[in-house]
Amino acid sequence: MTTDYAGPLPDTTDPLTGPHWAAARDGRLAAQCCARCGALRWQPAPICPECLQAGGDWVDLAGTGTIWSFAVYHRAMGPAFRDAVPYTVAMVELDEGPRMVGMLTDAADDGSDVTIGQRVRASYEPVTDDVTLVRWVRA
Amino acid sequence: MSTTTESPTRGAVAVVGVGSTAQGQFPGRSANEIAVEAIELALADAGLEKSDVDGLITCQNLRSRAGTDEQIGLLAGLNPAFSATLDYGTGNFSLHLAVMAVTSGLASTIVLCYGTNQRSAKADFGVAVGGGADFATLSGLVHVAGPAAMAFRRHQHLYGTTEEQLAHVAVAQREWAQRNPAAIFRDPLTVEDYLASPYLVAPLRRPDLTMISDGGAALVVTSADRARDRPKSPVYVLGMAEQTALRGDANPDNLTRPWLGDVAGRLWSSSGVRPDDVDLLYIQDATSVWVLQMLEWYGFCKLGEGGPFLAEGRTRPGGSLPVNTNGGQLSESYMWGWLHLCEAVRQLRGECGDRQVASPSIAVDCSSHDFLKGAASILSTHQ
Ligand SMILES: [Zn+2]
Repeated sequence: MTTDYAGPLPDTTDPLTGPHWAAARDGRLAAQCCARCGALRWQPAPICPECLQAGGDWVDLAGTGTIWSFAVYHRAMGPAFRDAVPYTVAMVELDEGPRMVGMLTDAADDGSDVTIGQRVRASYEPVTDDVTLVRWVRA
Repeated sequence: MSTTTESPTRGAVAVVGVGSTAQGQFPGRSANEIAVEAIELALADAGLEKSDVDGLITCQNLRSRAGTDEQIGLLAGLNPAFSATLDYGTGNFSLHLAVMAVTSGLASTIVLCYGTNQRSAKADFGVAVGGGADFATLSGLVHVAGPAAMAFRRHQHLYGTTEEQLAHVAVAQREWAQRNPAAIFRDPLTVEDYLASPYLVAPLRRPDLTMISDGGAALVVTSADRARDRPKSPVYVLGMAEQTALRGDANPDNLTRPWLGDVAGRLWSSSGVRPDDVDLLYIQDATSVWVLQMLEWYGFCKLGEGGPFLAEGRTRPGGSLPVNTNGGQLSESYMWGWLHLCEAVRQLRGECGDRQVASPSIAVDCSSHDFLKGAASILSTHQ
């Protein structure tokens, strides 16, 4: 298992976000869907922000989407990312609707091969024994 | 000027004093000491004593407990009838609260202040901003530069805006700052210099991002009736509007902040003032991208035309729409928009020396709290 990951890690035991991390370990992209009104939401929340129903059912998404925009970090703007630069972060418009940010791991160092509108798919990157992060690559 | 849906507070409250401390790096001084120094300066400017103040509105520091009304009241020896603290910055939101407090009768003369030692205290700005910070942090989307870079990239994609056009925000503000002795960054900055500087978060460069600085600012506001007795000309609050986007990324295209257009619509319709009437424009500029966005959302140019508008030099000294005549946060100092308000008042009073704009009567100050809130005020020499 890779041990040189220096970036931030999520608490996978958090009951709110735990199902997302468990799915990521299985290579699935999961988000919550309201049992009452059916609204799909990202990020995880304890209450449906549309109809205020508590809870939510975890559902698998296709894990595909389109780049809405992106930023190329040439300089680490926080100490946790000193080893990561240069890197590209994309705002991905999921095919199901919600937007999700994530690193675009197959981008050129200067991001010159990335354009808005490119199709991407989720890539599941184990960074510790416990944590698999959702990253993105061009489809 | 035609008045449409006139606001009940139009012209009822005026700024009668402004104070700004030196800006820069002041190790060994607390944020609260700096805030109280600004209060003293603003009261002197207003020709008032501490005992004349019956309201206090303070601004809490980012990621620190400094700046609450309890701390400032104790340090400044004030027992005002009304006090409050806003825990996010910008003078506009504080000014609006002051107008509400004066027009409701909760207080008659209010001092508003902000002091920070964020540079000396090495406050951490390398964190995610707005809603949903945890997942943004995991993705490396830290510092306001990241989402601002995405917003500008989107603008480029939709409208063909160029980096050279965006350069004119920082370049024009540096030209203003060179005329402002209080500004921290006064070295020349050309479009060529800008384009030659390295990317921090592409497509943004160092000149696109506010510096981090220590400093303080304060304002004194009172009712229009009381304002007439002050030694300096009152600057009236003719209009104000706000809009939130508290749902964050659940809002459509939230990084482009279309809800700022709602602030603008309400600002113009409640005041009867139109963009063409504006002599001076202040835009709180955490990043240069905010200037581009707000020129468009407030209707100073059409949506998508901000790039050419800037490149024509309209916002520079001598241009048709002077913007951030203090140099803004990009060149003067990072004060969460408070110095924009101070500068607007000083310009309307005609106190700005080499950078004074000829006989201005209306200034507009537009500010925003990242991707969550927008606010704007119209200030005028006339009621
Ligand atoms: Zn629901």
